[in-house]
Amino acid sequence: MKTKKSAALALTTVLAMSTFLAACGGNNNAAEQNNTSSETTTNQAAEGTTNAGGVDTSKEVKIKMLLVGGKPADYDQVFGELNKLVKAKINATVEAEFLDWADWNQKYPLKFAANEDFDIAYTANWAFYNDQALKGGFLELTDDMLKTYMPKTWEAMPTVSWGQAKVNGKLFMVPNNNIEVTDKTVLIREDLRKKYNLEPVTSPETYAAYLKAVAANEKGINAFGAKPADGWKWHELDQILLEQQNDWNLVDYNIPLAYKLDDATGKVFNVYDTPEFTSLITYYKDLSDSSAWSRNVVSNKNDVWQDIKAGKTASYAQNLGTVAANLTEARRDGVSFELAIADLTPDKKKISAISTQNGLAIHASSKNVERSLMLIDLLQNDKEIHDLTMYGIAGTHYNAEGDDKFSAGPSAANYTGFSNWGWNSTLNRTDVSYPAEAQSIFDAWVGKVYHFPLETFVFDDSKVKNEVANIGNVMLRYAIPLEYGLVKDLAKGQADLNAQLKSAGIEKVQTELQSQIDAFLAAQK
Amino acid sequence: MNRSGFWGEVKKNRALLLMLTPAVLFFLLFAYVPMAGIVLAFKQYNHTGGIFGSPWNGLDNFKFFFESGNAWLVTRNTVLYNIAFIVVNNVLQITVAILLFEVAGKWFRKIAQTVMFLPYFISWVVVGAIAYNLFNFDVGTINSILTTFGMEPIDIYNTPGYWPVILVLVAAWKSLGYGSVMYLAAITSIDTEMYEAAEIDGANIFQRIWKITIPNLIPTIIILVLLAIGNIFRGDFGMFYNMVGNNGLLFSATDVIDTFVFRTLISSNDIGMSAAAGFYQSILGFATILIANYAVRKYDKDHALF
Amino acid sequence: MSATASSINKASQSGGKGKRQMDKLLLQILGYVVITILAVFCFIPFLLVVSSSFSDEQSIIEEGFKLIPTSFSTEAYSLLFKYPEQMLKAYGVTIAVTVIGTVLGLFLTSMTAYVLQRKDFKWRNQFSFFFFFTTLFSGGLVPWYLMITKYLNMGDTLLVLILPMLLNVFYIIVMKSFMNSIPEAITESAKIDGAGDFRIFIQLILPLAKPALATIGLFIALAYWNDWYNALLFIQNENLMPLQYYLYKMLGNMDGMRKAMMQSGAVVNMALPTESLKMAMTLVATGPILLAYPFIQRYFVQGLTIGAVKG
Repeated sequence: MKTKKSAALALTTVLAMSTFLAACGGNNNAAEQNNTSSETTTNQAAEGTTNAGGVDTSKEVKIKMLLVGGKPADYDQVFGELNKLVKAKINATVEAEFLDWADWNQKYPLKFAANEDFDIAYTANWAFYNDQALKGGFLELTDDMLKTYMPKTWEAMPTVSWGQAKVNGKLFMVPNNNIEVTDKTVLIREDLRKKYNLEPVTSPETYAAYLKAVAANEKGINAFGAKPADGWKWHELDQILLEQQNDWNLVDYNIPLAYKLDDATGKVFNVYDTPEFTSLITYYKDLSDSSAWSRNVVSNKNDVWQDIKAGKTASYAQNLGTVAANLTEARRDGVSFELAIADLTPDKKKISAISTQNGLAIHASSKNVERSLMLIDLLQNDKEIHDLTMYGIAGTHYNAEGDDKFSAGPSAANYTGFSNWGWNSTLNRTDVSYPAEAQSIFDAWVGKVYHFPLETFVFDDSKVKNEVANIGNVMLRYAIPLEYGLVKDLAKGQADLNAQLKSAGIEKVQTELQSQIDAFLAAQK
Repeated sequence: MNRSGFWGEVKKNRALLLMLTPAVLFFLLFAYVPMAGIVLAFKQYNHTGGIFGSPWNGLDNFKFFFESGNAWLVTRNTVLYNIAFIVVNNVLQITVAILLFEVAGKWFRKIAQTVMFLPYFISWVVVGAIAYNLFNFDVGTINSILTTFGMEPIDIYNTPGYWPVILVLVAAWKSLGYGSVMYLAAITSIDTEMYEAAEIDGANIFQRIWKITIPNLIPTIIILVLLAIGNIFRGDFGMFYNMVGNNGLLFSATDVIDTFVFRTLISSNDIGMSAAAGFYQSILGFATILIANYAVRKYDKDHALF
Repeated sequence: MSATASSINKASQSGGKGKRQMDKLLLQILGYVVITILAVFCFIPFLLVVSSSFSDEQSIIEEGFKLIPTSFSTEAYSLLFKYPEQMLKAYGVTIAVTVIGTVLGLFLTSMTAYVLQRKDFKWRNQFSFFFFFTTLFSGGLVPWYLMITKYLNMGDTLLVLILPMLLNVFYIIVMKSFMNSIPEAITESAKIDGAGDFRIFIQLILPLAKPALATIGLFIALAYWNDWYNALLFIQNENLMPLQYYLYKMLGNMDGMRKAMMQSGAVVNMALPTESLKMAMTLVATGPILLAYPFIQRYFVQGLTIGAVKG
């Protein structure tokens, strides 16, 4: 810990110096704003602790939010309603800027780099959270600030969720508060399974039997579909057959390093260098040789779900939420065949989704820090505001079904499609059309959620980013073809893969990761 | 240069200098001032410091590229593809321009010219989708045709060897109409009296093309090739990415600097590292163009870029 | 075209027909055959695009792209024109930007090119290098973005769609090389008559440079017409969105959302005809240019002939 502290000190010195330099370098605006904002926040925080609960909201402010997704058609209507409520409660109004899905990942970093004027930004582990936190784009949130300005959230949020959102021990995000299990399932054609008299699909073996039967007997149908062309560095079944099946946890999907869930020492290993992986690629090769997936699967440009709906593909792997949504869609549109969800690892340990999959952060140069935090508190934990911002206007965009369910309203399509998931919470309603079988799988999982010491550990790869970048390339180039059965000699393929990983620097990354994990575990004791 | 000479020159050319002013201002504002951002290649960027205040980190940003073991491969691929594109595209475009000029049918000429422009309008995303429909193993058009004639289907997406040919053909196809317009304009500017003189000398039409049309095109060819050489270390990202995607099996034959850098940095989103890669391309391109321009100057001063 | 026609006439007048006619015939045949083959290769994929845009999404997923739609559908188009005013506005923005940008850009490009090719201008190489250098080195996206939004304050204005693309070194240099073929004597004699440089450029050079103006004008116009990137970076106001960006946004939003949904675990229901939509977009964006091309081409060809005669 000592070294970390001094490193942090060094970092702050560097930052301070660079702020100073920036002032000379023509970027004074940003620097000044940063200074004033950090001053005001410390002031506010100090006031907050002495004057808890009695926050001064006499001056009306306008809070700007940066959200991801297309602007919903009925934005004015819904946010008009929202502003009435927010005005009454915290004397503020809200204005959202939407970064379209088409280009958000280009624009988002620019908004920060140009230090544009906004207070709250949607963020997530897949949406620049670590990156912006490390670059100083977000304001650090202290416990005092949270307790003072977002008491409801402070109360409702599990400690684990806060812990997972910390970057180098500092918090920059109010994560969403939603129980989720990220385990993947597969969707199968139940009608085909029955047609060929196969056992119910509940394990890797029964699934292989299903895929092979479909591949052998159904001309014109791909047994398994995937879209690796998207840049995902794993076989789409890996999460199920490698991670879930062996009770492992991959630390970061950009590197092939994992630890065993029940290993208290948190020893990390290269998953490609394990007997489990050797036997898995044999399993995959067998499927590939049986034509369970297209020979050109790695170049596939078609949408897998659309292919399934069209009857051209008979199975895919996806997280439960997506599978369930697709199932709902299929039932709504009345497809002519029967689909079913299959859990291939029902008895394994389940882990809950990391809280940073969705969240909101405060912009480092925000001038309305208190009110922004108060707004997030309302969005997440005020029933009326949560319902409004998540589902729109009752009777128009949704119909409330009891306290925790909803059904789509007549103009549901006019208020959807953007990242209001950032304030998911226990107040979320479930869709009444959500498939019952998905719900029951989910309920069973929740009961089996496994908690472990490293649950809140997040890898900071800033010291080994070159190696991580190159490892990602090796995975795409060597692991993907190997796993999809496109390499003839498996043993040689695996050896090549590991040799390439070695020269890409996997050992250095492993050492760095292990030392971070050791330090993390030591600090927990 | 002595002072009075300099100011004398300014005075003499003040009208010309004034005419250059808008362009000079434009490039100062939109190119030279932002060019200061090159320093990012040598910095560990953060928002607090911004472009100038972020700490220096020496050559660290270049490491990811040179330590990847792929630097040579992707650089070589980029250059070889660009050379192939320059040669094939220009030869085709010149041929088409000459033929279009010589062909008698007015309507044919107009329609053909329009039709050949069409590929320019089809985005790479759509081209990639069409290519997948043609080439994929199971239901692709090419394999359907092959099997109809009793031949073995070919596995294009798993065979790197096909790709240099495919990519060169696709690039030629897409730029055919656009590129030939330039040569067509150059051909039409040729003095017709020269043709007539050649005719009287008894040259046949092929000799005439060889002796008059092509030599008159040389300045245009040199300029276009020089301009292309400046970018010889930059791959056409849109094309390579949409045609090949993340198919690792093909990388040995298809990976260019731009796709490699994109893939490597997409998850880390590091401004410094991408600036470093861009700087590497710039330096190499700069060196190459200086040599090429020098060579052209030796041959004929008027044809050089600068 | 007059050039070819006159040379053919000359040839037939000058006697010695047999052999000469043979080589002309051969060239004609060669020309027709080669051009036809190439044109067909260029046309078929476009036909595929047209046909797919009118196909039912389901049939594309099941059978791939076909030259003739197996089941006809205009769903993609009705989706594109779901908000017709938006679409019309987008067309309006694109047309305005293209027209203004092309006129201004062409004027500045040719003026710059003219100065650079003046052999009596001592610093022409230095300036050429000054311009060319910007194609080699660039500071990247962030500083450029800062320049435009922070210092020039052009964010979210029509100006930002026009100004940053006004000049392109490539066009300046090509224009310069075209102008090289205009005899120096023209400038020299005008100077002796006492004409100023700017007047020489406007009154003598521009009319002579018509082939070059037509070519470069076409390129500038296409660049403006096809640009969506500046809009992506700088435009938020829906009334200022050009066509290409409007289309790009529509498509990108679907793909982007699917990916984000998978990563975030969030669930949103939507089924959209992505494939046919992509194709329909190509047509919607290209259509007006294709319709306008014959007219443009007429001026284009005319310009060329004048240039040829004068040259």
